Amino acid sequence: MTAILAQRAVPRDTTLWEWFSDPMTWGGSDGILANLGDTVLLCAAVTLFAILVAVPPAAFLAHKGWGEVTSAWVVNIGRALPTFAVAAFLVPVSLRAGYGAEPWPIFIALVLLTIPPMYLSTYVAISQVDKAAVNAARAMGFSERAVLTTVELPLASTVIFTGLRVAAVQVVATEPIRAFLGGDGLGRYVRDGIGQNNATLTIGGTILIAALAGTTGLAFSAIERLVKPYGVRRLRSDRSPRTGDTDEQVGPLEDGEPAGSDAAGVGGLRQR
Amino acid sequence: MILLASRNPILRWSWIPEQWDSRIQPALLEHIQLTLLAVGIGFLLSAVLATVALRYRWTVGPITLFAAFLYTIPSVAFFGVLRTTALGLSIFTVLIPLTGFTILILVTNILDGFRSVPAPVREAADAMGLSPARRVLTVEVPVAIPYMINGLRIATVTTVGLVTVAAIVGQGGLGALILDGLRRTFWTPLTIGSVLAIVLALTFDLLFVLLRNWLTPWSRAQRS
Repeated sequence: MTAILAQRAVPRDTTLWEWFSDPMTWGGSDGILANLGDTVLLCAAVTLFAILVAVPPAAFLAHKGWGEVTSAWVVNIGRALPTFAVAAFLVPVSLRAGYGAEPWPIFIALVLLTIPPMYLSTYVAISQVDKAAVNAARAMGFSERAVLTTVELPLASTVIFTGLRVAAVQVVATEPIRAFLGGDGLGRYVRDGIGQNNATLTIGGTILIAALAGTTGLAFSAIERLVKPYGVRRLRSDRSPRTGDTDEQVGPLEDGEPAGSDAAGVGGLRQR
Repeated sequence: MILLASRNPILRWSWIPEQWDSRIQPALLEHIQLTLLAVGIGFLLSAVLATVALRYRWTVGPITLFAAFLYTIPSVAFFGVLRTTALGLSIFTVLIPLTGFTILILVTNILDGFRSVPAPVREAADAMGLSPARRVLTVEVPVAIPYMINGLRIATVTTVGLVTVAAIVGQGGLGALILDGLRRTFWTPLTIGSVLAIVLALTFDLLFVLLRNWLTPWSRAQRS
């Protein structure tokens, strides 16, 4: 929290252009580059960790057709947790346990934010794979493991990647609350801007956060293109994964109620 | 700055009765009020947008895009930027982003609800001589209700979480208790604010499940 006090004051009449073009703004231990590094590192760690925790179990359970009701419960409760409140609650707990105020509370809160949409989209994606393809693979003598990894996962990859991308953008858009819990990262400019009543800092920080969120979305699309198997890319249904199309897919979760758009696409994520 | 653990426990119980009337209850009420206002206004706007989208098919794309754009604005940034405008510390600085974030969830769910009405059902209603208005009200809306409630449910729990963030611009209900606790390194208000916010979100979630079961008894019959 001492970092708040160490912040170099920016005069209120500095224009956005002056602020962005000043090398002092970018360099140094409290410059944009250092804060960008902080934010990217935390977001990458959260995203990777959440993928590892959410995707394999979701894929396995969906393949087996197990745990539909339990999954729906877990996803719904996870989705209801308010991220900022959870992170704040964990600050004194983490301090008491000797792990410090940063970055564990925000890390855990962001992981909890990210797991439900990732889990949900993976589960739904695998469940929706054409049963004819799965049974054909079984008839050809594929082991269950091979059915999952070489048939179901590739065919489900478009929906899974959409879920991962949306969740990752969500993490980047939410991470700035860290600055209000005594941490750093890009959110600090919005925080300091509000604190010092300095519109330049607030808007500058906003531009940086929005740019990073946009870049994250693009990066995930690029990764998707690299990782996705050639055969899947040639599938017709795969060519135009507009949100409208994925929205239509109704998920099996949500204890029998229509999952609708929040299954595969946008609504499944909860914000901040 | 850091007090001894014995003097600054995670929760000092005696603080609750002391501060209930002056701080905790007003914060809780403000939180509920902001949540319901945002979701209520958001639902009205979404109903209008969904009606337009259903009436004029070509508007579906632009409306969804606009709602998705609103939804992806980082919350901290949205609140912060409106704070710098003429809106300043007024309630609109908080209400506009909160409402904006609900629209994508609500519009997509309302649209899904009406799209889920099977065409034969609609035709049967027409054949029975129902006027279009009656058909929508007595046939299509009931079919779409589970979707709408699901949308309201997600929008409401999301908004409960976002209201805590709104405290950074000075009015966030329970979020104000959280920030106060952080500023003073006094954990009791922080713990009360965050725990109440979590409990409030889970309560709303449960209430919507009950509401859905009560409004659509047929969906339960189908399930079993």
